Amino acid sequence: MAGKRQVMMLTINGDDYEMLVSPRQTLLDVIRDQVGLTGTKEGCTTGSCGVCTINNDRGEAVLSCLTPALEWQGKAITTIEGLEVNGELDALQNAFLDYGAVQCGFCTPGVLMSARAVINGSGRPSEEDINDGMAGVLCRCTGHIKVKEAIRNVASYNNKT
Amino acid sequence: MLLPDHEFSKPANLQDSLAKLANTSGEIKLLAGGTDVIFNMRGRLFNPDVLLSISELPELQGIEQLADGTVSLGAGCRLTELERHPLVRQYPGLAAGFRAVASRHVRNMATLGGNLNLDTRCWYANQTAEWREAKGRCLKTGLKVCHAIKSSDICVALNASDVAPALLALDASVVLASLKGERTVKLADYYTDDGVEHTVRRPDEIMVRVLFPKNSDRMAYIKETARKGNDFAYATIAASADGQGQQCSRVRIVLGSLTTRPVLLLKTATVIGERGLDDAAIEAAVTEVRDELGALTNLYTPAAYKGRIARVLVRKALLQLREL
Repeated sequence: MAGKRQVMMLTINGDDYEMLVSPRQTLLDVIRDQVGLTGTKEGCTTGSCGVCTINNDRGEAVLSCLTPALEWQGKAITTIEGLEVNGELDALQNAFLDYGAVQCGFCTPGVLMSARAVINGSGRPSEEDINDGMAGVLCRCTGHIKVKEAIRNVASYNNKT
Repeated sequence: MLLPDHEFSKPANLQDSLAKLANTSGEIKLLAGGTDVIFNMRGRLFNPDVLLSISELPELQGIEQLADGTVSLGAGCRLTELERHPLVRQYPGLAAGFRAVASRHVRNMATLGGNLNLDTRCWYANQTAEWREAKGRCLKTGLKVCHAIKSSDICVALNASDVAPALLALDASVVLASLKGERTVKLADYYTDDGVEHTVRRPDEIMVRVLFPKNSDRMAYIKETARKGNDFAYATIAASADGQGQQCSRVRIVLGSLTTRPVLLLKTATVIGERGLDDAAIEAAVTEVRDELGALTNLYTPAAYKGRIARVLVRKALLQLREL
């Protein structure tokens, strides 16, 4: 076989992992199957649905299904498991609960990581910023209204402080 | 599903990348943002022996204005970075072109070079390998058959780059590097009529920069699509002109996503260049559009629709241009 496995360092949610990774694995494969963090979901695997969204080291939303794992050698990422810190939910997670922005929940990790990136990019996102940041992730049951209400709530809280 | 088996290589600099490209016998695919290449590898349309990552080459970075005013954009720049850069924002039509691509998620990964070299798309080829198996291979996968347009002996897959029309309206050129040195190709000469070998980039070359002359032309940019986020275009238009109001002499009109290449509408632009942007001239220009587009196919949308949307977009863009 052509593709040699390579030793790879990856920091996920602040924890360092050293792994033997095949070129055949995407970042999503490594996060879910090798590290065992199954919060990040596999959806369309073609870049349309956004449920595999994670945050890169700049806090931006990226699709873990469309990038080879080896591309991330030495990098740091945040997955849905990293939003909760010391047992405390992230402000966005609390807002999603308050606003009922979850129904079946399958897309929720991707929706939350996309929302996190919107807040990371601009602590006070405009309506346009929210639409722009959330257009790449699809929810087919709750819809996007409650999600946007939850994000706006966190944004307005940021606006006050 | 795992990707097809391949060797993953990520040299530290351009020179080593070009050497790898020149000295590897098997098929190599360049990987930048990955949003197109990995998509096509998942669908087993791309089965490279080597995936050569150029995503972090320092030589492909940088957004700057050169001493003579020429704007230089690194081919490895991500679309998000480009659309927000102050120099790019001086060209609102171009910024709109970057912003039109897919979603924020994709633009955080995808690069300028990647978008310009986006593989052509077709409803037959861009399916899963299992789906394609039912009908067998096609021109894209080594058989002289087109399943999308039965009578075609050439691949008619569409060029779906949203960025190319905007850059063509700016009269951009691309710089290609190989071990032999660099060559500059006009973007207008970069694409071909063959959906398989759809650019003139040679296998040993890497696109390093995109250049366009400094200008203060107006530009209108419209991407016609089903939904704002994440969709490929039905058609894209970029139209630029000098002057102001109805007065103009230098005009460029480019339609994208209709054929294997973005189409520069020379005759249509000449009408406006000679007569200005008054209503009668715009209508006269619109009548030239269909003939200039040449043969259209029923790929994704009917050819009749393509001809019509092209005329509608040209009118819309020229009317917008007049107000800029």
